Amino acid sequence: MDQQQIKAFIDAMAATDLAEMEFSQDGWSLRLVRRPGGAAITPAPALTPSAGAAGPVPAPFDDAADTVDAVGSALAPSLLRAPLYGVVHFSPAPGEPAFVIAGQAVAAGQILCVIEAMKVFNEVRAETDATVAEILVGSGQEVDAAQPLLRFA
Amino acid sequence: MFDSVLIANRGEIALRILRACRGLGLRTVVVHSEADRDAVYVGQADQALCIGPAAPAQSYLDRSAILFAAEVSGAQAIHPGYGFLSENAGFVADVEAAGLTFIGPSAACIRTMGDKVAAKRAMRAAGVPCVPGPDGALPDDPAAIAAIAREIGYPVIVKAAGGGGGRGMRVVDAEAELADALALTREEARRAFGNPEVYIEKFLLRPRHVEIQVLADRHGNALWLGSRDCSMQRRHQKVLEEAPAPGIAPALIAEVGERCAQACRQIGYCGVGTFEFLYEDGAFFFIEMNTRLQVEHPVTEMTAGIDIVQQQIRVARGERLALTQSEVACHGHALECRINAEHPDTFTPSPGLITGWRLPGGYGVRVDSHAGAGYRVPPYYDSMIAKLVVHGATRADALARMRLALAEMRVDGIATNLELHRRIVQDEHFAAGGVDIHHLERWLHAGAAA
Repeated sequence: MDQQQIKAFIDAMAATDLAEMEFSQDGWSLRLVRRPGGAAITPAPALTPSAGAAGPVPAPFDDAADTVDAVGSALAPSLLRAPLYGVVHFSPAPGEPAFVIAGQAVAAGQILCVIEAMKVFNEVRAETDATVAEILVGSGQEVDAAQPLLRFA
Repeated sequence: MFDSVLIANRGEIALRILRACRGLGLRTVVVHSEADRDAVYVGQADQALCIGPAAPAQSYLDRSAILFAAEVSGAQAIHPGYGFLSENAGFVADVEAAGLTFIGPSAACIRTMGDKVAAKRAMRAAGVPCVPGPDGALPDDPAAIAAIAREIGYPVIVKAAGGGGGRGMRVVDAEAELADALALTREEARRAFGNPEVYIEKFLLRPRHVEIQVLADRHGNALWLGSRDCSMQRRHQKVLEEAPAPGIAPALIAEVGERCAQACRQIGYCGVGTFEFLYEDGAFFFIEMNTRLQVEHPVTEMTAGIDIVQQQIRVARGERLALTQSEVACHGHALECRINAEHPDTFTPSPGLITGWRLPGGYGVRVDSHAGAGYRVPPYYDSMIAKLVVHGATRADALARMRLALAEMRVDGIATNLELHRRIVQDEHFAAGGVDIHHLERWLHAGAAA
């Protein structure tokens, strides 16, 4: 994969309303994520070394399988905070298994919960590889922006 | 004849209906969820009843809770507003079985219009122009379906009979894609609407969305009140509406409007309703009918000088329409901006506490809103917090007034799409009038918003 190719993917994505796009070839993988409102869907800035990506951004170029979501695990935040005011859901639908449970290891980019606001479901994803230590609020509960939702080990 | 009305809705439309009831001297009962307990209109009603928790399924969509509230309060009629239960034929039947009046058309009319194929058939029978394509069930034989598509001419669109609002449809550019598109849409329709029936129509490439407001009584009288253009849409959601539809000959609109009124008489329609059309190259094509009050009804109120909600309640009370078609005119031009609690660039929802609120005003400016400083926009419902409506002697006059009103309006504490509207009313294509339904999304993609 060369820069030309990556540029082509970015342009392709920018021309549509795709929120996310993944491509793998010859051991390379590229993931482009469009972030609504810059940090809106990332945990509270004070606690996160945000990837800072507004709009589609190419993956870092040095290591294979890197993604825009990934930041060093040494910088993992200890708390996941609600990116917006809404209703938190810890499972995809009532009666379905939870996205994550306490004690579970999660990979960067994995969905941890969704926050429902005005008929829109906003996915909240892990910024880094981590282990969930504790879930701090009940599913279906109203949460304020920046309220802690779960604690990482 | 009823003299008390239960308002089974929330937000700005609950307040709008409350005002109409007050104007007619009717007693009002507002039902609300726990999340809307402190809303201003709840306090203004003669009686307010909490019918359940915030989640719509347990409150505004809970039919038995609403009927029980009617019984407890002694309300004799139910106004459904828009959304929620407003087009639910089963609810209408329940309301009538309980001996109450539903402020809207009959269950049978709602059922016919809810099935897009049946609706199209009814409209053809009434002489309303429809999008080219059959108005019956598709044959089973794939070759026969392909022949129908060929006769219509590609591109065609495969649509679910039970769909609407932009869901359950697929555009097909060539015959090779037809079989797959049919299978996929059938399966989606079966899952989403519980009805696998699909139909095929000509796919128009650059249509406008033009609609006709109608008003009908129980005595066989029906009027059309004017046209609206709602082409400014994003993801099938209307953003800005206007009346009348610009640049279309009044004689052509009158001809289509008269056919809509005729269709109402033919199907025994009672109440207010909207016939939605695609308009392309000087021709109208019926797409669907909304059997309820619509969000954008104020633009027609402004140009026709008629309180549509009061009229809706009057005909539900069994009154005869006092107006005749020759008394309905279109004066000047009106625009409506839907002010939503969402980020103007990303459209991320932004519920929360409104800390500052400054409304525009002056000649020709109207704001329909239940919000204000200190109001906490709940995260459970639609994001619309206000409708900013202006009226002017001409379209240019209305547009200039809207620019000033948008500049004057301020909402603090939450993000709103005010800034998006300010940019839209500066767009030269919109200002020229008559853009198609894809214009807004094209314009957003092109970054003209920046």
